[in-house]
Amino acid sequence: MTTLVRTSTLKATVIGTGLISKEHLSFLAESNRANLVGVCDLSEAAANYATQRFGAKKFYTNYRQMLDEVKPDVVHILTPPHTHKTIAMDCLQAGAHVICEKPITPTYDEFKELWSFAKQCDRHLIENQNYRFNQPIFKLQKLVQEGTLGEVEDIEVRMALDIRSGGRYADENLPSPVHKLPGGVIHDFLTHLCYLTLLFLQDFDGVKVAWNNYGGGDLFKYDDLDALVFSGSKHARIRFSSYTQPDCFSVILRGSRGYAEADLFQPYVRCIVPRAVGKQLSPLANQFSNGWTLMSASVNNFRRKLLQQTPYEGLHFLLDETYKALQENKPLPIGFEDMELTSRLVNALVSQENYL
Amino acid sequence: MKLFVTGASGFLGQYIVAEALRRGHQVSAVIRPKTDLSRLSWYDHPEVKLVRLDLREMSGLIESLQGVDNVIHLAAVKAGDFYTQFAGTVIATENLLTAMKKAEIQRLTAISTFSVYDYLNMRSGKVLDENSPLEKNPLNRDEYAQTKLIQEELYRNFERDGGQVAIIRPGMIYGRDFLWNACLGAELGESAWLRIGASAIMPLSYVENCAEAIVIASECERALGQTINIVDDNLPTQNIYAKKLMEYMEKTPRTFFVSWTVIRLIARSAWLYNHWFLKGKARLPGIFVPAKLHARFKPLRYSNQKAKEVLNWKPKYSLQTAFERSCSDADLLAVPVPESTVSKVA
Repeated sequence: MTTLVRTSTLKATVIGTGLISKEHLSFLAESNRANLVGVCDLSEAAANYATQRFGAKKFYTNYRQMLDEVKPDVVHILTPPHTHKTIAMDCLQAGAHVICEKPITPTYDEFKELWSFAKQCDRHLIENQNYRFNQPIFKLQKLVQEGTLGEVEDIEVRMALDIRSGGRYADENLPSPVHKLPGGVIHDFLTHLCYLTLLFLQDFDGVKVAWNNYGGGDLFKYDDLDALVFSGSKHARIRFSSYTQPDCFSVILRGSRGYAEADLFQPYVRCIVPRAVGKQLSPLANQFSNGWTLMSASVNNFRRKLLQQTPYEGLHFLLDETYKALQENKPLPIGFEDMELTSRLVNALVSQENYL
Repeated sequence: MKLFVTGASGFLGQYIVAEALRRGHQVSAVIRPKTDLSRLSWYDHPEVKLVRLDLREMSGLIESLQGVDNVIHLAAVKAGDFYTQFAGTVIATENLLTAMKKAEIQRLTAISTFSVYDYLNMRSGKVLDENSPLEKNPLNRDEYAQTKLIQEELYRNFERDGGQVAIIRPGMIYGRDFLWNACLGAELGESAWLRIGASAIMPLSYVENCAEAIVIASECERALGQTINIVDDNLPTQNIYAKKLMEYMEKTPRTFFVSWTVIRLIARSAWLYNHWFLKGKARLPGIFVPAKLHARFKPLRYSNQKAKEVLNWKPKYSLQTAFERSCSDADLLAVPVPESTVSKVA
């Protein structure tokens, strides 16, 4: 890989100015590691708005023109998933590193093709796996590393989102392009569910999955996912539900000594483990401790809501670490193994031979 | 005249189509692909051509504009996050204007809103009219105001490129199923109101009055190049409107009052605290954000003088008649089919 040893700011551009662009652009507008030199969208009005709002140098409606004129060091690709591969290849060929929204490609084969192309171009390719860098996940990792939970045997990653009763996914007039992904709308969230599972499962050797469309109709391919993932004696459950409330994104780890539970939408981590007071009193001590944890979380989450802190905290961390690694020529926070394994698990979940 | 009406199935749009038909126009009514037609009495009128498309994409737009004399553009999105409203209001407008240029259609009656004005820096009691300044800090306002301001910029650009544009800014539109008004305060569930202020004049426009003004504007050469505010005559205060609304309600809601002076002080204090101690990062409820609060409740006066002069229009229905019509069983969208058309069909 060509070294990029310098401490000067990196020229950054953004392609696509939809909902997620707000997070990327606000990072780029505030970061002293990046210089936002261009924003591109098919809509001139959207590109112009983002340029003014986030202080970019210039806007474009043709990304190839932007690559030619600006010659960016880094391109953020925030367009719909089916466009990622073509745009990413053009950016890599133009000499830019690519930070790409999830899923990096709709299929595993396309990912391998894209990765191979990035290696040929001697450029980095990074998929946004932002929730790995949220505080509750760091806390869970610490509990595992310190052996507090013992050997982790069971993992559950669950997302509940009411995608059927309104919002962009339920729009029948102009259906979101993600409906066309192999796993439909759920596929758009699958990357998150998979990399968080693999963060604690490490690898997998078997998958069984039930995809359902309980709400029926032609718009949604599926609205429910229930999957079991096996790795030796370890089990993981990946769950997406459109019909349970409230909305949540929870991770539960069950180990040989105890278990821990975290939520990423309303952040908290609670832990049930043997306490110093002995086996008899440990349940009571756990309840006191958990009560305190939940009360503290309620205050913190009120503050977070007031100050507009979103679950995208991990994205800002990931981007900062990525730019730092690029500047200092150090290993990136998301490497090939992370993306390859995630893409492989996503592929296994949408492969018909694994359907229940 | 052949009119192309976007947002034709919306609250105001359905009345505009009805009024345009009554005035003898042919209407291409743009509705979204999945819109239910059953509540639109005019959908099978012989002078209506239904155009099913979503303005957030260009597909089919240029073709559907062929032969059109004037576009009345109402389509906008008032709910959802900023990006949803941006797509439904700004990108939809951008696509429409691009298609109009390609179809070589120049005349546009563009429907904007009172939300684009700068209320915070206006002095209480002053007259808000077409010359009042526009909001200079859109980020302090809600998503609707932000996107409508960008939309107006697109209209101005279209005009600079040779388009002939009449910008119409209606006040708060009310009518059947939309009698509650945000200028009164907030509804607390189904049985209670939080009333903010009492004696501020409400910039109201009854939907049928507004629809008539807009159709006249689309016919009127003198409206081109103009920006025109639309409000009714004899505008009521908040108290008068609330009393009238309660007359037509089955059950009187429990009402909590907060005076304009008190809420303004609270909002100002909250804003200063946010600015000084939280570096402006806090996202407060709208009534604690001065720019949003003033836009809804500030006591101002309003003028429809320019609309009357340019359009030779006078609001047909008073507040009392508007309520009677809104609460009656009459089909307000019914349009009689002209005899000549009936005999032709027969």
